[in-house]
Amino acid sequence: MNGIHDMGGMQGLGEIGYKESAPGFNEPWEVRLFALVQAMRTGGLRTYIESIPAPDYLRMGYYERWYTALITKIIERGIVTRAEVDSGRPDTASVNASPALTPEIARDLLFRSTKTEQDVELRAQFHIGESVRGRNINPATHTRMPRYTRGKTGVVERDRGVFNLPDNEETSAEHKPQHVYLIRYAGRELWGEEAPPNDSVYIDMWEDYLEPA
Amino acid sequence: MSQPSSDHAQDHTDVPSDPALRVKALESLLVEKGLVDPDALDVLVDTYENRVGPRNGAQVVARAWVDPAYKQRLLDDGTEAMAEFGYSGGQGEKLTVVENTSSVHNVIVCTLCSCYPWPVLGLPPTWYKSAAFRSRTVIDPRGVLSELGLELPKDIEVRVWDSNAASRYFVLPERPDGTDSMSEAGLAALVTRDAMIGVAKVASPTAGGVS
Repeated sequence: MNGIHDMGGMQGLGEIGYKESAPGFNEPWEVRLFALVQAMRTGGLRTYIESIPAPDYLRMGYYERWYTALITKIIERGIVTRAEVDSGRPDTASVNASPALTPEIARDLLFRSTKTEQDVELRAQFHIGESVRGRNINPATHTRMPRYTRGKTGVVERDRGVFNLPDNEETSAEHKPQHVYLIRYAGRELWGEEAPPNDSVYIDMWEDYLEPA
Repeated sequence: MSQPSSDHAQDHTDVPSDPALRVKALESLLVEKGLVDPDALDVLVDTYENRVGPRNGAQVVARAWVDPAYKQRLLDDGTEAMAEFGYSGGQGEKLTVVENTSSVHNVIVCTLCSCYPWPVLGLPPTWYKSAAFRSRTVIDPRGVLSELGLELPKDIEVRVWDSNAASRYFVLPERPDGTDSMSEAGLAALVTRDAMIGVAKVASPTAGGVS
């Protein structure tokens, strides 16, 4: 989606606000919310975060976006109702979802490697050293292809293996496993002759995002 | 900037006017509905507050500095080499370690959201998640680094790593001068989170800082 979240290469978005040794959490509620999201095991929130209207997205802090996205998703999934969220009290008529995450599983949740790489043998369409171009696609739903790569030519640096296309994971029940490649884009290819000659951007791209150059 | 909290009942934008209260209310609701076990929640909070963080990454860096064979394993397959310490990518992502040298400087960013290697660096700082850092780092890395206090000579090659859902990146900083006699633990204490993001260098322990 050509949303505000796809901001690579934009200018004028304010201050970075850099602070050395800035903490990961600024307020106690942020870590509680973060833990709540993990405890709910509702899967990714990216689609929901990306659907927040641009003016709200820019005004909200990072964890406020997570809060909004979590609520939108669990209401949509029927796990809670809007009335319950508004009142803060359970409605006896609303259904419960799967059993809650136990402390035993929670303990190793982050350190347990649930591999996302797919054990599927698929022919790779592109090879290391080959030039590839970002396809000119404008999906209205979730994608991991930033718009700054569209129409731009880069070189395949590595074949990462086979992963499910994220675009499909969010919109359909069908998985679309395919090779993911690490692509190197020269800064000048992306940003023009003003860019320093020896700078570059590296990014992983799913096969569907690319075409032969 | 922040709006005074008004009529909650009229507010359907989900923008928390008092986030702490709203999150507490949501937590109570989910616990009461049996969707969340409060003990599991405490375990998760403890994990994110105490068990993950840049000290984990610093250990990995120090090991790579003193053990060339480990460093090679780390650069060849970050996921496997981090697993030797019991760290994973976080949600099954691959971890790729990129090495800063006298001729190459790497910096990580996530333009689409805020992907970050949680188990080894903890949760990202606010500035990493800022719209300005996410948008500008790919188009003007030298300008961003300079703003953050790191001036890079023209002849240094700058590589920006735009983290994606399948991969998370981690910078192996350059070992500073004046550290030849230091122990692995001593070295780990020098390594900062910001150096592993690639927006700073590891300062030399000798007076004068960055050499």
